[in-house]
Amino acid sequence: MTAVVLPSAFADLPGVTGVRASANSLRIDLDHLEPAALAAVATRLGLRLGAVTGTPLAPEGETEIVHHFVALDHLVDVAVVSRDRSVPSLAPHLIPAVWAEREIHDLFGVDFPGHPDLSPLMRPEGFVTGMMRAPMCGARRLPDPHPAADPSE
Amino acid sequence: MSYTIPIGPYHPALEEPFKVKAVCDGEVMRSATIEVGFSFRGIELLCQKRNWMEVVTLVERVCGICSNTHSMIFCMAAEKIAGIEAPKRAEFVRTIVAELERLHSHLLWAGIGAEDIGFRTLFMECYAARETVMDQLERLTGNRVNYGMNRVGGVNRDLGGLPDLVAAMADLRRRLTEVVVPGFTANPTARARLVGVGPLTRDQAIEWGVVGPVARASGLDIDVRRDEPYLAYAELGFTPSLRTDCDVFARVVVRVEEMLESIRLIEAAAAAMPDGPLAALDGWPTIPPGEATVRIEAPRGEVLYHVVSDGGPTPARVKIRTPSFVNIPAIEAMVPGQQLADLAIIQASVDPCISCTDR
Repeated sequence: MTAVVLPSAFADLPGVTGVRASANSLRIDLDHLEPAALAAVATRLGLRLGAVTGTPLAPEGETEIVHHFVALDHLVDVAVVSRDRSVPSLAPHLIPAVWAEREIHDLFGVDFPGHPDLSPLMRPEGFVTGMMRAPMCGARRLPDPHPAADPSE
Repeated sequence: MSYTIPIGPYHPALEEPFKVKAVCDGEVMRSATIEVGFSFRGIELLCQKRNWMEVVTLVERVCGICSNTHSMIFCMAAEKIAGIEAPKRAEFVRTIVAELERLHSHLLWAGIGAEDIGFRTLFMECYAARETVMDQLERLTGNRVNYGMNRVGGVNRDLGGLPDLVAAMADLRRRLTEVVVPGFTANPTARARLVGVGPLTRDQAIEWGVVGPVARASGLDIDVRRDEPYLAYAELGFTPSLRTDCDVFARVVVRVEEMLESIRLIEAAAAAMPDGPLAALDGWPTIPPGEATVRIEAPRGEVLYHVVSDGGPTPARVKIRTPSFVNIPAIEAMVPGQQLADLAIIQASVDPCISCTDR
């Protein structure tokens, strides 16, 4: 595990469009993901893939995929948006991606070419792949269920 | 000739549903595959349909064991986005409740582990010791589970009767050192069922990305409480337990040592409890647009929340990654070459929480 992760460590990563550093975290935005290159950087820096967050951007659209890497006292978030609902799989290179990508495939219908097994992980029988896409997009702008009282009333 | 034994989804090793398919040659397992998802509730979606205060209550229901962990980390993420700093006294209260939760979780696990190796006397001793903790949690918070202590910006209630808590911890330390520790580490029958069983080498632990006691029992010196201190851990001082045996026995010893360290942390926090308010703000929290990734050390290991706010009344996204989600798959690496009869304790050794995993 490494204690300090510098933005320059990701300079050679293909597809970097932005780097934001804060007190104890780093966010790297990519326009495309090259799994072998990302895995190589993570291995070189001693980063552990802690989690992968999928966030559907539209019911029929793309999905933002954020890979959360953990250093000793740092977090490195590597974000990429799917293309044609697809993101190359990290699973052949990093084992923690296996379940994480299966779950995102299950719930949001993102394809991960190169993944060894995209069989359902969480999705109950009888539900379609990507069952959570539309509900999750629809839930993002709900009216406040407990609006604050209008002081003029 | 190889054959496959499906175990589960009901009660494969504990009272939660998951499934293991073990491929065996005779009594020796060659491989195993794990199936989860039987308790999927879609809590991440529900988080987008509740306001910021309701989600605190909702995520506390992710797990019945580490319930406080989930409400606390969600509050910490919201506080990070909003730039809210919880008062010092609230941080000490959160620390005490978190360590009490670790104690009851580890004792629950120890009881199940004892049951899985047929050591019923030790199972009863672990559960009797656990009641000391549960009584304190009930007295301090009003509940045995889902304590409802956390709010965005601090805690809902103060802790009263700290001398009683300290006395209870002294009693628990005696029970642990006189009964539970020797029960697992000195009893020849227990050692025969634990030592050398379910190995996970240090390299495998790195490869599979395991966390918590499972990682530390394989020689990975990681613990969020020390590596990225939060709450009162930096002030109280903290030493993670570490073993290099890489087997079920090591996972037992790590948890036992962690319980003794939790008792010390609770005693130290009670002694150094600062005066002051319990929350940084009154009433409804306003969370501005932003996002935060936060991790803390739950009883089973690192929990990671990724929370996004668009400035609205509800979170825009709440991603929950529990320790069991990364530890359970590693059972597949512990199984090859092991006896089928040891599968129950191997599974139990990662302290799998299916409620957490499935969310």
